[in-house]
Amino acid sequence: MTPGAAAPYGRRFGSYAGQSYYGRPAIKPSHYRWLIAGYLFVGGIAGASQILAAVADLFGYRGVTRAGRYLALAGALMSPVLLICDLHTPRRWYNMLRIIRPTSPMSIGSWVLTGFGTLSGLAALCQMLGARVMGRVFGLPAAAAGAVVSCYTGSLLSATSVPLWASAYRLLPPLFGTSAMSTAVAATSLAVEDEDAHLALERMALAAGAAELALMVATERRWREAAVDAPIRQKPRMAAAYRWGVLGLGVVVPLAIHAIHILTGRRSQPAANLANASALVGGLIQRAVLTFAGNSSAERPEDYFSFTQRAA
Amino acid sequence: MAVDLRRHPVFPPSVPERAASYGQSILWGVMPDESELTAGVRIEPGQSYGFFTDTSLCIGCKACEVACKEWNNLPADEIGLTGQSYDNTGRLSCTTWRHVAFVEQRDRWLMMSDVCKHCANAACLEACPTGALFRTEFDTVVVQQDICNGCGYCVPACPFGVIETNHHDGKAHKCTLCYDRLKGGLEPACAKSCPTNSIQFGPVSDLLERAQARVREVPGAYLYGVPGGPGATGGIARLNAFFLLMDRPEVYGLPSEPTLPSRRVAPGLMAGLLSMAGLVLAAVAAFAGGKRR
Repeated sequence: MTPGAAAPYGRRFGSYAGQSYYGRPAIKPSHYRWLIAGYLFVGGIAGASQILAAVADLFGYRGVTRAGRYLALAGALMSPVLLICDLHTPRRWYNMLRIIRPTSPMSIGSWVLTGFGTLSGLAALCQMLGARVMGRVFGLPAAAAGAVVSCYTGSLLSATSVPLWASAYRLLPPLFGTSAMSTAVAATSLAVEDEDAHLALERMALAAGAAELALMVATERRWREAAVDAPIRQKPRMAAAYRWGVLGLGVVVPLAIHAIHILTGRRSQPAANLANASALVGGLIQRAVLTFAGNSSAERPEDYFSFTQRAA
Repeated sequence: MAVDLRRHPVFPPSVPERAASYGQSILWGVMPDESELTAGVRIEPGQSYGFFTDTSLCIGCKACEVACKEWNNLPADEIGLTGQSYDNTGRLSCTTWRHVAFVEQRDRWLMMSDVCKHCANAACLEACPTGALFRTEFDTVVVQQDICNGCGYCVPACPFGVIETNHHDGKAHKCTLCYDRLKGGLEPACAKSCPTNSIQFGPVSDLLERAQARVREVPGAYLYGVPGGPGATGGIARLNAFFLLMDRPEVYGLPSEPTLPSRRVAPGLMAGLLSMAGLVLAAVAAFAGGKRR
């Protein structure tokens, strides 16, 4: 064998120095835009509201249970509409339930969402009829399905070859899950009027918000390590949406208001409403920024090639 | 052989009088196992077939691109000049299933006919929620057009940026390794049309042997997509359409060590569900933590 023929190719060519084929994208971006960003947001709220409803049910917060179950049903009804509208051949939507493919989060999601929707419908029906025991019988499995619905969307994005999504594959599902919980707490708070419930929900918002902030920081560090963070840094509009929308409105503002309320022991309802509205707007911006930044990430060959220097 | 073609029941009226008197020159149908004549292989279901694209032999003539478009009835992409090289095709797409890359370097020209890799473990197939993408009896990966609903999840999943959805018909498309031709015993159109044998078709095991012999002859060459080599990393195992390359993969627009996206599903979901369990505990604490009543 001639020397060189068997030499590992890494030794032959040295480390990667930004080469690409005329700067052309090496992978193709997804076509996902506002419909999918909207689904990531709405589906998350639906899934996590059902969890809140189930836990609140165990502790007798009836208002939260009621609001949570109706929110979950509303989200479970909207999600498939958004997803089907996003298909290029929507009339074939039912092919999503043709097979079960455990390697595909899209397939896992289709099935879990179907189960979640059915259970949420039944739980909401029991809620309407005032059947408390049956409500719990359907509500608990609905909450379990809701837990999957809240976080699998992170895997949906990261089980691709898109550098921004794929490099943070252990962080995106927890991030989406906690963000789903923050937005669900915010939406539920806006829908209930009971003072005790507001207090409990603020404690929950603080916990979920703190976890979300920690995960956001960890995700950003992961992106920096993998050298794939350019899409959220370089484009001014994306960078602004990320800093002010995702971090500011989504995490810092609500976290600060809730922290002040809990630490001082005095709460103002308008301030709490502001925190909840801010969390909802920020949550939607977060899903949109991650979706669109992922698409720009796929268009950057240098990011993809840095990401694929060493197969993990 | 004196056959009076004019008496033949399916005599094509377009055949001129003079040609009709030389019946032996007219093909009446598909030659059985034509691939034995053109590629030296008999195509049998149950075997793995693929391409060995030897870029050191490519002259950039783009006959493969044309043959592919002709056979598969694919329309032209946008017509224009890239202004970057002699490559005005630019990329593989839903309507371009062979793409000749052209890299002009100081002392040499590199040309490479890119194609779907028909990965042994295919990211697109694993991502497909409808089962439209399937593995054929020839170990190739094909989209069933009557099932695909255009969800587009295979598109960002592919580590090589091959498959794409067509916004006109709403389905995903890519190279089928001429599934229809293989069924009829014909060599794929691109390989058959390649004038320098840069694109070689055959059973993957034969191609691997041929490639390993060839890579010893060409100084500075290496194989991309063979088991254990670059391109066949991270669970992808092997590319049924593999390449002999002359420069680092990125120069041709290929990743050095791609990974199979499905590997990220289980760890991601586990982390996600763990965090959800944590949130449930937090909710229990929040609701249990003292009711002012």
